[in-house]
Amino acid sequence: MLNQKKALALLEKYNFSYPSTTFFTEQRIPKIKYPTILKVDSSDAVHKSDLGLVFTDINNAKDVKDAVKQIKKVVEKEGIEDYKMFFQEKIDGTELIFGMKRDAVFGPVIVFGLGGIFVEIVKDVAMRIAPLTRKDCLEMIDSIKGKKLLEGYRNSKKVHIPFIIDVMLNLSRLSMNENHINEIDFNPVIVNEEKAYVVDARFLESENA
Amino acid sequence: MLDAFFNPKSVAVVGASRRENSAGHGILKSLVKGGVFESETNLPFKKKIFPVNPKTNSLLGLKCYKSVLNIKEKIDLVVIAVPAKIVPGIMKECSQKKIKAAVIISAGFSEISLDGKLAEQEIHDMAKKAGIRILGPNCLGLMRPSSKLNASFGPCMPPKGNIAFFSQSGALIDSVIDWSLDKEYGFSSVVSIGNSLDVDITELIEWAGQDKETKAISVYMEGLKDGKKFMEIAKKVSKKKPITILKSGRGKTGIKAVSSHTGNLAGSYEIYKTAFKQCGIHVADNVDDLFEISHVLSMQPPTENGVVIITNGGGAGIICSDHCDDFGINLVSLSKTTIKNLDESGKMHYAYSKSNPLDLIGDALSDRYEAAINTVLKQKDVHGLIVIQTLQTMTEPMLDAKAIVKARKKYPHKPIVTSYMGGKFTKKSVKFLEENHVPDFNVPYKAARAMRALISRKEFLSK
Repeated sequence: MLNQKKALALLEKYNFSYPSTTFFTEQRIPKIKYPTILKVDSSDAVHKSDLGLVFTDINNAKDVKDAVKQIKKVVEKEGIEDYKMFFQEKIDGTELIFGMKRDAVFGPVIVFGLGGIFVEIVKDVAMRIAPLTRKDCLEMIDSIKGKKLLEGYRNSKKVHIPFIIDVMLNLSRLSMNENHINEIDFNPVIVNEEKAYVVDARFLESENA
Repeated sequence: MLDAFFNPKSVAVVGASRRENSAGHGILKSLVKGGVFESETNLPFKKKIFPVNPKTNSLLGLKCYKSVLNIKEKIDLVVIAVPAKIVPGIMKECSQKKIKAAVIISAGFSEISLDGKLAEQEIHDMAKKAGIRILGPNCLGLMRPSSKLNASFGPCMPPKGNIAFFSQSGALIDSVIDWSLDKEYGFSSVVSIGNSLDVDITELIEWAGQDKETKAISVYMEGLKDGKKFMEIAKKVSKKKPITILKSGRGKTGIKAVSSHTGNLAGSYEIYKTAFKQCGIHVADNVDDLFEISHVLSMQPPTENGVVIITNGGGAGIICSDHCDDFGINLVSLSKTTIKNLDESGKMHYAYSKSNPLDLIGDALSDRYEAAINTVLKQKDVHGLIVIQTLQTMTEPMLDAKAIVKARKKYPHKPIVTSYMGGKFTKKSVKFLEENHVPDFNVPYKAARAMRALISRKEFLSK
């Protein structure tokens, strides 16, 4: 898995937006705007949130200290040696998931769905073989069952569709160009009135890369 | 480009055997008589046939040759049915003889061992150099009724028709041919693909795209090697002719346990299905679908989404409308004018439903069907009909069928599919419907499935 620095560099290269990220060490905790998110970056930890290495509710310096303590416990237990910690700006909006899988027969396949339970439990996703056109993107968005949520429903705000299309097209371009990347998870991407932010990006490299 | 396979002027059979239960014997007999099992669809090959077998002088009344090299005449197609280990030697002789195309029936190549794979490679290189095209190895052969060519060890010649059927399973072909003799579909060609050492599904689809006798393409697929090339060709062909594919292997095996979220969501079958849909290919769920979809698409025009169900049984109508809902078929409301016209036709029962499904009530005779069909088809936003007939004591299956066929001709752009829910007593009228290009399905589910295919086809073509 690509580490956070390399992942951010790829996001940058393909014009994705992502929340501001500040790396820190236990000895030097910078001044930060609360509330914030605290995460651990390590190639040894593919499923960070399952391990309890993502803290979404950091409101003050004490929360930071508690989180760091907790992280130390987990990495020791899991035998994770190489890791870094960073703060990530908290973004509000609608959670979406995007992904790519490089298929041996058809090449890169782009996946899109609504975040959280919609993908995990309902498996409400749209798929398409890359490269994607704008029309492909619209059809993908049209085909998911939870589409109503994107149009604004109860608590969810209306989502600006062109932001979603941009993420899809950039992801398609990345997948067609970066042959060493085998699988990608953008989970979640948060969309609001301003932008679509890739909040968590996982890039898995092919074994012979 | 594959003409030597489908329209050869001469065929040699290497491995033609005296043993009646051998593949080699079956193939020779299929060529000479048109098929091994007796069938009125059998058509003997009228051009030259050369059996090759070093151990005998004559077979089925034909002179037998020791090797293809002993044959003086030109040979377009050779069918090879000898043990795998001597196939490379035979291919060498075929190269010298400058044969255009070879069907290698023999099994025991890449599908079983590394040695087999190496032998395949040797054959491939040799054939490429000599310019011989290869179908197989490890296949059943091919059939082309219009060329009176049955170069296979399938049971008999399939009925002539307009569906091209390509299969990665040979045995499935055997059963499909047997079924097709009973059902109403026929084939422009049937090809068993085998290990696709040279000719593969993609090239066959491309060929069928320009084949004048093919109106629809059905494929049974286990896997592809080059998905990108397949998509490129399939996209082009399906603009001209409908392609329906049954892809087997839907299990989740082969997905790594530790993978990304996306990796888990995008299983192999889902990816195939995605690719098919992007190319406008109809995805069959089962063997029935594979032919019924091609059948309806080869007979009736693609149509917009707006359908009315006409029935003489309330229950059957509701069953059908449930299926239509599941398939996303839009059941349009009958307009005031349509209801007025139905009322004024003088043919309706006082309790008829006045809505969609249009229930004509059980005692409907053919004049009521006829009035209903013609009145409803007049409505502009009705783009197709599903006509259901349950068999009641007064029902007139043949006269109903005639009314349907007449309406089809009057409204050529509005497809009608029928569901004559019956068996023995409706057989004759079903045959009449089919002969007049109205596809009939025994259950409403299949009729709705067929209508869905016509709607999907229209959606794809108007993209």
